[in-house]
Amino acid sequence: MTPRRAYLDALVAHLGPGDVLVSGLGANARWLPHLPVRAPVFALCDAMGAAIPLALGVALTRPGRRVVALEGDGALLMSPNVLATVAAARPANLTCVLWANGRYESSGGQPLPDAPVDWVALARAAGIAHAERIGDAPGLGAALARLRTVRTPALLVLDVLFDPAEEIPPYSERPEEIRARFRL
Amino acid sequence: MDGASRIVAGLEAGGVTLAAAVPDTWIGALTAAARRSPRLRVVDAAREEEAVAIACGAALAGGRGAALMQNAGLLNCGGVLASLVELYRIPCVLVVSCRGDWRDPVYYHAPKGRVTEATLAAWRLPWIHADRTGDLTAQVRRCVDFAVESRGAFVLLISGEDLA
Repeated sequence: MTPRRAYLDALVAHLGPGDVLVSGLGANARWLPHLPVRAPVFALCDAMGAAIPLALGVALTRPGRRVVALEGDGALLMSPNVLATVAAARPANLTCVLWANGRYESSGGQPLPDAPVDWVALARAAGIAHAERIGDAPGLGAALARLRTVRTPALLVLDVLFDPAEEIPPYSERPEEIRARFRL
Repeated sequence: MDGASRIVAGLEAGGVTLAAAVPDTWIGALTAAARRSPRLRVVDAAREEEAVAIACGAALAGGRGAALMQNAGLLNCGGVLASLVELYRIPCVLVVSCRGDWRDPVYYHAPKGRVTEATLAAWRLPWIHADRTGDLTAQVRRCVDFAVESRGAFVLLISGEDLA
């Protein structure tokens, strides 16, 4: 199982200043201010489940920019309906990256309901044709590169190691700072 | 021009570029009018919290967003309104069909009608009832302006009569 930082490093290495990154709450949002992200970042500290629809609004408004949304499996389990919304809207420039570790990591690592949710199958069933499971960081980089030429929305499902000992930095930016700095 | 078209004209006049919608009978009629606008992108959302977030995404990207929904859906939206719209101070105008008030005496809507205004007050959100006897287009435009100027939400409650 691949640890979070390896995926984050691969993601950050892939993004350029013409891209846009929207992150759901939790560990990714807390790590991003400490990483050399070249793309504008809008990171949530709350609003669980809002990252993908927020990114959809950005993507539809800015069709010339590649928008990447980061969401956790716990958040998406709360509102999987958004997969159908994305499929219906057909943004050509939106890639959703789902961090699947089966845990509510932000609230202490409690397990998700014990059901073997197949996110790739669920996304395809909702109408997102391009959905694939990723098992390592090089695979994420390669998939993101491939998707630059794909003109349909996509979902990448990352198998992420849940590491209770991971030293996740605290939130270091206030919402008003994030909002003010997010300029496209 | 019917009321639905006047509401859409108000959204257009306010510079709204994207309207994310979850229909009920009344919002469905409004959304149909919005689809006829060359200046509005209508996004069909599966749930109302999504509609709010989609509208916020449009605002963050330099457009202006509106969310269209029934008051049942508004009542679902307390979390996203507090933790996204208010926390990040994003303009978002909501056009909400106010089912179950005195103009809509349907028993299964009545519980929603009883709590809608009180909920908006508890959430400290600015709101008005549309007044179809006045300039509806101007009212909607002012709602959008208020959301933009205050960098927050503004709720316009409408009735089925307002769409006629």
